[in-house]
Amino acid sequence: MTDEALLEVRGLKVGFPTPDGLVRASDTVDLRVYPQETLGLIGETGSGKTVLGMAILRLLQPNTIIEGEIRYRGRDLLTLPEDDMRKVRGREIGIVLQNSGTSLNPVYTVGTQIAEAVTLHQGLNGPDAWQRAVELLDTVGIPDPVRMAGEYPHQFSGGMRERALIATALACRPTLLIADEPTKGLDAVTKRGIIDLFSEIDRDHRSVLFITHDIETVEDLATRVAVMYAGEIVEVGGAKEVLGDPAHPYTRGLLASLPERGMQPIPGSAPSLITPPPGCRFSPRCGRACGDCRSEHPGLVEVGPGHYARCMLYDRG
Amino acid sequence: MNGIYILKRLATSFAAFCIAVTIMFVLLRLMPGDYITMYLESIYRYAPPDVVETFNRVYGLDRPILEQYFTYLLDAFRGNWGYSFIYKVPVLTVIGEKLVWTLIILLPATILATLAGIGIGAYSGWRRGSKADAALLNGMIFIRAIPSYWLALMILIIFAYYLNLFPLGGYVDTSALATGIDPLDVAYHAVLPILTLFLFSVTGTYYLMRNSMLMTAGEDYITTARAKGLDELTILRKHALKNAMLPMVTLITLECAGMITGSIFVETIFSWPGLGMLTYKALAARDLPLLQGILLVDTLFVIAANIAADLIYPLVDPRVQVGDDV
Amino acid sequence: MSRKRVILAASFGIVFTYCAVALLAPVIAPYDPHAITGAPLSPPDEDHLLGTNDLAQDVFSRLIWGTRATLLLGFIGATIAVAIGTAAGIVSGYYGGLIDEAVMRILDVAMTIPIFPLLLIFTTFFRPKIYLIAILMGLLGSFQGVRVIRSQVLSLAVADFVVGTRALGAGDGYIMARHILPGVLPLAGVKFVTSAQHFMLIGIGLGFLGITDPSVVDWGQMINRASQNGAMVLGLWWWLIPPGLAVTLISLALAWLGYACEDEINPRLRVMRI
Repeated sequence: MTDEALLEVRGLKVGFPTPDGLVRASDTVDLRVYPQETLGLIGETGSGKTVLGMAILRLLQPNTIIEGEIRYRGRDLLTLPEDDMRKVRGREIGIVLQNSGTSLNPVYTVGTQIAEAVTLHQGLNGPDAWQRAVELLDTVGIPDPVRMAGEYPHQFSGGMRERALIATALACRPTLLIADEPTKGLDAVTKRGIIDLFSEIDRDHRSVLFITHDIETVEDLATRVAVMYAGEIVEVGGAKEVLGDPAHPYTRGLLASLPERGMQPIPGSAPSLITPPPGCRFSPRCGRACGDCRSEHPGLVEVGPGHYARCMLYDRG
Repeated sequence: MNGIYILKRLATSFAAFCIAVTIMFVLLRLMPGDYITMYLESIYRYAPPDVVETFNRVYGLDRPILEQYFTYLLDAFRGNWGYSFIYKVPVLTVIGEKLVWTLIILLPATILATLAGIGIGAYSGWRRGSKADAALLNGMIFIRAIPSYWLALMILIIFAYYLNLFPLGGYVDTSALATGIDPLDVAYHAVLPILTLFLFSVTGTYYLMRNSMLMTAGEDYITTARAKGLDELTILRKHALKNAMLPMVTLITLECAGMITGSIFVETIFSWPGLGMLTYKALAARDLPLLQGILLVDTLFVIAANIAADLIYPLVDPRVQVGDDV
Repeated sequence: MSRKRVILAASFGIVFTYCAVALLAPVIAPYDPHAITGAPLSPPDEDHLLGTNDLAQDVFSRLIWGTRATLLLGFIGATIAVAIGTAAGIVSGYYGGLIDEAVMRILDVAMTIPIFPLLLIFTTFFRPKIYLIAILMGLLGSFQGVRVIRSQVLSLAVADFVVGTRALGAGDGYIMARHILPGVLPLAGVKFVTSAQHFMLIGIGLGFLGITDPSVVDWGQMINRASQNGAMVLGLWWWLIPPGLAVTLISLALAWLGYACEDEINPRLRVMRI
């Protein structure tokens, strides 16, 4: 890739202090999102992918321990004063949170909530902001947007709420859109609708960081794919390469567990993020683990053009 | 308007009222001694039998008990609550007069307590764990633990007796006998009672608001608001506050209703001639009709508060229709 | 020790001390609380640690004996209130349907009638002994907790393990006692502590109004008689202040306990998000 990265995460560590110890949700994560691409970030629940999305916009709890750099257009977001960070949120980087059911304020109409973002960043007044909100609802495919803008979240169906959230995130035309599990809990038809919506958004020349545990959604949308496991990026590369011929055993296992590819589950369960396994974190569950895997921690090495994997099979350095 | 709701509400209220009346009726009949004995003690004791018979006839005491009961019940609904032993006037009249005085101290105290409780509670909950929150919380728990009579007594002793800032009680100065009641004088006398009522009730409101805010602050839509780039104060004001206040509607209306009887201690200590003081006197004199009247008035207040909450809630929460079970 | 632990320990300590004082009253109190022991209204001296009241009774002894009434009112009342409230909540939440409807309707009506005036009226006219006052408070106060217990039960009753236990052939009573009850106990425990606090305050309040059991030494009565005998003007602080402080202290201890427990039980306040 020759373009300058839009978003560059360097050495990001996110830890949550709990009574049982420090939960390392992200342990030295390096990731890049380039302009006008869709990066799919896949991983199991608890792999740290949601944390990554939230960390970019500094939406985590105040007592979270964050180290590293998150560079957006050259500026390190982690060192920005709060006032400046607020200007980034919504305006430059938008996020669609998980759980559309609870992510909208129940006592305000959907239109009001979308208009709020517009008023804040673009200074549009009441009627103009409302107009824009209606337009946005139309863009995301909500029928009868004029009426629906005046309705309350509980009057929207699951799929429509998801779209409304997407509309809110897009309200100020951010350059980077982070979508956290936008298809979770939706039925197959609705899911398809949301995926189609995202493919349209893509055309608007913005970048999308698409976080999901559902590989199928990513197959059609992503230009590049990153795989997260136990708080680390274990594989990253072009979508076709990673999903077609994965280098990392975990990715292979994920694909093999899909219904249409055999539905072979990966043995074992996700490791503790407080005391991760020594060496390669996937080694306890890996069918191809060897002695080195358990003792040495592999780095991210290039296994193909623009394709990297974190596995001792390739890291003979 | 949900028809079933109206029916349910009416039925519950009706039942509650009837039961209150019934309890008093049973009490009357269970009393050692006779109803008439209390009413006309000395006379009855020495009255000749035909006078007794007349009385029994007039008061319906010679009728079957069931008939007496229904007459009694009907009277209660009509507002004919009998005559007070102490005051020798209709119970409703006395209560009406005294209620006004209670409201003079109760309304300002409740309004102030509600506003303060919501404001401070919201701030405390939003900034959970901060020094301000800890201090406020400890302070409120402390005040709430003090019994209301002790609080009133201490306030009286400190501010009225030792510091001589306020009068020792009553609602007017004795000079009013000559010059008439001066509203400013009444207000002056009302300060300490209002202060005491305020202190007592603000703790409850604070605590509930704080809890409500704690739950609201963790909601996902607050994160969405932050993700839009709104500043903390706006989020607190526009998003958190409105949601956190929802459960308060029912609680505040009930607090209002509960304060009517809660004022008994305050009024007794400050010699404030309201409903609380009246209750105290009625208890001391065992004035049954008056006590019954007070019980019924309180019940009516609770009924009114419930209906008010039912009506207000749908106005502020778009998810709820009138009649939904909250 | 964290600050919270310190407060918790102190609260427990206070409650235990009060219990000990109540139990050991006959041993600790220097005088019989009802006996006449010298000059009335005399300030503290070496014979009378807290002076005497208008009937020349030793205030200190009365203070000690008064602990019994206070604890009795609080704990017996709370036990009854929580027992009834929990039972009703469990039955109502578990069975649902008509039983639940019936209980809820009864609750609606019962909670519309103001409890405090009823208590005042009953106490005034029947002049019950202190045990009965405690029981009465418990009965009247049991309505309040039912809803909370019930909602907890509702979330438990549909849990899979309950269905599973039923599939094994367990009876309703067994399930309610062995599976639902433990889930509800923490809530009930908190309710017990806060109820005890309230009943103590109300019970002593009854004494303050002069409508409690006169044969029992009661701090409320002491405060009342003190202020009526001109404690303020005559400066009879030894009679007026100690009972008030005594009530406030135990009330504070229980309030702290209640709050601390509630904090533990309710995980919504945990700062955890992944």
